Amino acid sequence: MNRQILIDVGVILTGVTGGIASGLFGIGGGVIMVPILGLMLGFSQHRAQGTSLVALIPPTGLLAVLAYSKAGYVSWQTGLLLIPGVFLGGIAGGNLARRIPAAKMRRIFAVMIFLLGIWQVVSAVRQNHG
Amino acid sequence: MTMLLVLALGVIAGILVGLLGIGGGIVLVPAMVHVLRMDQHLAQGTSLFILLPPIGLGALRQYWKAGNVDLRAGFLCALGMIFGAYAGSKIAVPMSTQMLKGFFGVFLMFSAVLLWLKARPAQPAVPEVAAKASAE
Repeated sequence: MNRQILIDVGVILTGVTGGIASGLFGIGGGVIMVPILGLMLGFSQHRAQGTSLVALIPPTGLLAVLAYSKAGYVSWQTGLLLIPGVFLGGIAGGNLARRIPAAKMRRIFAVMIFLLGIWQVVSAVRQNHG
Repeated sequence: MTMLLVLALGVIAGILVGLLGIGGGIVLVPAMVHVLRMDQHLAQGTSLFILLPPIGLGALRQYWKAGNVDLRAGFLCALGMIFGAYAGSKIAVPMSTQMLKGFFGVFLMFSAVLLWLKARPAQPAVPEVAAKASAE
C-alpha cells in the first residue's frame, strides 16, 4: 500500500518533469519520461514507452499552447499543414520500423540530433555577437 | 511551393516518429527553425499545437495489444504534465530568442545521449507478459 503511493508520487513527478520539458522546448515530453520511468521507477523499456504514450494522448499541452499563442508564438497555418503529414508519416514509419533494425537507426538518429544541437548552440552564440 | 514543402516536412517528421518511437517535437522544432526559417519561439509554440491531437493513438494500440501499458501510471503522468507544461511555457515565453535557441541546443544534445542509451539491445521478452502467456 505504502509502496504503491510512493510509486504514484514518483509517476506524477515524472509527468511534471516531462511537462516542464514539453512547455519549455515545445516537444512531447516522451524523451524525458521514458528514461525516468525505466531507470528510476523500474518499468521495462516497452512498458515505459507504452505508458508514456498514454500520457501523450490527452491534450496536456493545452495551457502551454495558450500561453505561447497569447504571446503570438503559434503559426496556426503551418501547424495545420504539418498535422496530416505527421499522422500519415507516423503510420508509414511504424510499418517500416518492423523491417529495419531499430537500434541501429536510433543510433544514427541520436548522432544527427547531437550535431543539430551543436548547430543550434553555435547559431545562438553567433546571433548574440552579431 | 512553400505549402508543398511544409506538407512534405510533416510526412518526413512523421516517418521518423513512427520509425524510432520518439515524439514529433524533437524533429519538428529544428525543422521549422532551420528549413522554414521560423523564429525559435514560434516553432516551439507551433510544435505544441501540432502535438495536441492524439497522434500516438495508433502506436499506443500496438503496445496495448502486447500488454505493455500501465494505464494508471499513464494517467498520473498526464496529470503531472498539465501543470509542468504550463510552468515550462511560462519560463520559455519571456526568454530571449538567442537564449532559448541555445538552451534548446543543449537539450537536443542531452536527448541524443538518452536516445543512444536506449539503443542498447532490448531484453528478449518482457518477463511478466511471457509468464502470463505461458500460464494461459
